[in-house]
Amino acid sequence: MEVIIKGISKSYKDATGESFAVIKDLVLELKSGAVLRLKGASGSGKTTLMNIVSGLILPDSGTVKAGDFEITAMSETGRDRFRAENIGYVFQTFNLLSPFSVIENVYAPLAFAGKLPEKFEEKAIAVLNEVGLAGLEKRKIYHLSVGQRQRVCVARVLFSNPRIILADEPTASLDTESAKTVYRSIEKCRNNGSTIIFASHDRIFDDFNSDMVFDLETGRVS
Amino acid sequence: MRAAFILKAVMHNMKHRCSAVVISTISIACAFAFLSAIGNVTFGLATTAVNSSLSFPLVIGPEGSSDTQLVMSTVFNIDKPKGTLEYSVFEELIKDKRVASAFPVARADSYMGIPITGVNSDFIKEKSNGFIKLKEGFVSDNIFPESDLHRAVIGFKIAERYGLTVDDKFAGSHGHVGDENAHRHDDFQYYVAGVMNPINGPEDFSIYVNLRAVWKIHEKGDEHDDHNADNEHHEHHEGCDHGTDGEAHETLSAILVKTVNPVATSELEREYSSRSGTSATDVAKTVRRVVQYMNKAETAAGFFSYGTLLIVLAMVFVTMVMAINERKKEMAMMRTLGIGKLPISLTVMIESMIITVAGVLAGVVLGHFILWYLKPLIDFNLGISLEPFFVTKVEIQGILVTLVSGQILSLVAMLRIYNMNLVEEVAKD
Repeated sequence: MEVIIKGISKSYKDATGESFAVIKDLVLELKSGAVLRLKGASGSGKTTLMNIVSGLILPDSGTVKAGDFEITAMSETGRDRFRAENIGYVFQTFNLLSPFSVIENVYAPLAFAGKLPEKFEEKAIAVLNEVGLAGLEKRKIYHLSVGQRQRVCVARVLFSNPRIILADEPTASLDTESAKTVYRSIEKCRNNGSTIIFASHDRIFDDFNSDMVFDLETGRVS
Repeated sequence: MRAAFILKAVMHNMKHRCSAVVISTISIACAFAFLSAIGNVTFGLATTAVNSSLSFPLVIGPEGSSDTQLVMSTVFNIDKPKGTLEYSVFEELIKDKRVASAFPVARADSYMGIPITGVNSDFIKEKSNGFIKLKEGFVSDNIFPESDLHRAVIGFKIAERYGLTVDDKFAGSHGHVGDENAHRHDDFQYYVAGVMNPINGPEDFSIYVNLRAVWKIHEKGDEHDDHNADNEHHEHHEGCDHGTDGEAHETLSAILVKTVNPVATSELEREYSSRSGTSATDVAKTVRRVVQYMNKAETAAGFFSYGTLLIVLAMVFVTMVMAINERKKEMAMMRTLGIGKLPISLTVMIESMIITVAGVLAGVVLGHFILWYLKPLIDFNLGISLEPFFVTKVEIQGILVTLVSGQILSLVAMLRIYNMNLVEEVAKD
């Protein structure tokens, strides 16, 4: 899915009430299936940009279009639906639902949206096997290691086969083996044609074939 | 499928905060059980009072008796009668054309604290609903013949409570049970001639003997005559005057009267109230007054119960809000995954609905179970026949109030989530 960002700005207020800009007049165009790597120090606006693309927050100005959807013009419910159907998020903090089991976490977003495919349990087990979590389907999240949790997060993305993947420091605090699994999964999504926006300081992603690198600190695109 | 998953999420969340859910449910159940029990007991009391008042529209008693005392001691078999009434009043009454029938009553002794009431066969014929057990060869229409003064007819509950059956013997005593001054009439024992069918009224808790037996047992020259100087003892012989000529003085505690019409009731009440030596009361009027008092007590108890229930619901609401705050982060995560506000809010609303409904249902079951368990005790001490599994109006109102307030509170909780800026929670990362 093509992503077109036109002149977006976003600012927040600090504790004193002073406004500070995180993103200013950003223009970016990503073709369908392209990979964008975001660079920049902590607080440079990487997560904010991803949240804007996913429709989780709205920019102060500018527009964001993903395929035929003008995200910035959609209602909150519309953006929720768009996110559930088109976005795969891999968070640094996993964002897993603790009362649910591993397999339920994999299909929860589509289940809540009422968009579960046929034989969804078989498909969920298949992606769990793919990320090396075979046999752990019924286990609760709090019984998993950090590495296993991130694999569940990746399995959730693979299950919904989203058209856009947002990966925010997906391998931070992971062991090498788990990091490799996450890397391979994102690579697989790219091969399936998903548009990918990711931010990572992990060297494992240094040889990840990116179409574009955007430095949020300098504003330079390479 | 979506609804099923939302329900699944609710179950997971409830399991996750199991102890809070259990405590909330138990709190609602206890408060509701209390409301349910109070409703049932007051309903039982009022029903018994009204049903009992239907039998005899008029009671004539000794001069100086209060209306309530007269009705309580005769119709409900509680409270002590005051003073005595000449038997001639009864003889005069039955000749009156305005009287359909009249029944003399004399109270004197008691058995295990249960008053023994002297009546005639006509009274038993009038009040009993047949006999569950009757001594072979005895005729129910003439259960108290003059030839046998030792016969007693007992209520169903008395037989059940004390394990009394036909031919069992017992003696009456005056004075309180366990009182050192109490005196048992072992020389004049009664035997059970019949056990009445259950009536669901005070008769189930009554012991009836021949009126003449009451007179005979307190004849002058009786072995306890020396007690007569004792005021406390004398108090227990109020329904029976001791003669002075070696024979029982024929006195009564009261006369229960059935009149030919309400006008006759009114006239007779007026006449016997103004006559020297007698007083009279319209039973329906007195019972209405008593029931009105009971209704006030019921309303007060109802307010108290509802207050308790609302406090419990408020507690549940606070617990719910605390749980929402705890789960804020998780709800924010759900939003990032594209899970909308509605399904998230619905999970909270359904959860509080389940807690409220489960609490109410558990309360109904608990309340009725407690009533069932305490029924013998309540029946006996309050003199009412309780229906532990009868659902009262108060209870139905309570169910509606609880469910509606529960839903309002869950809606408030739902709105709270709906208006929460959960994205800020994600942004905090």
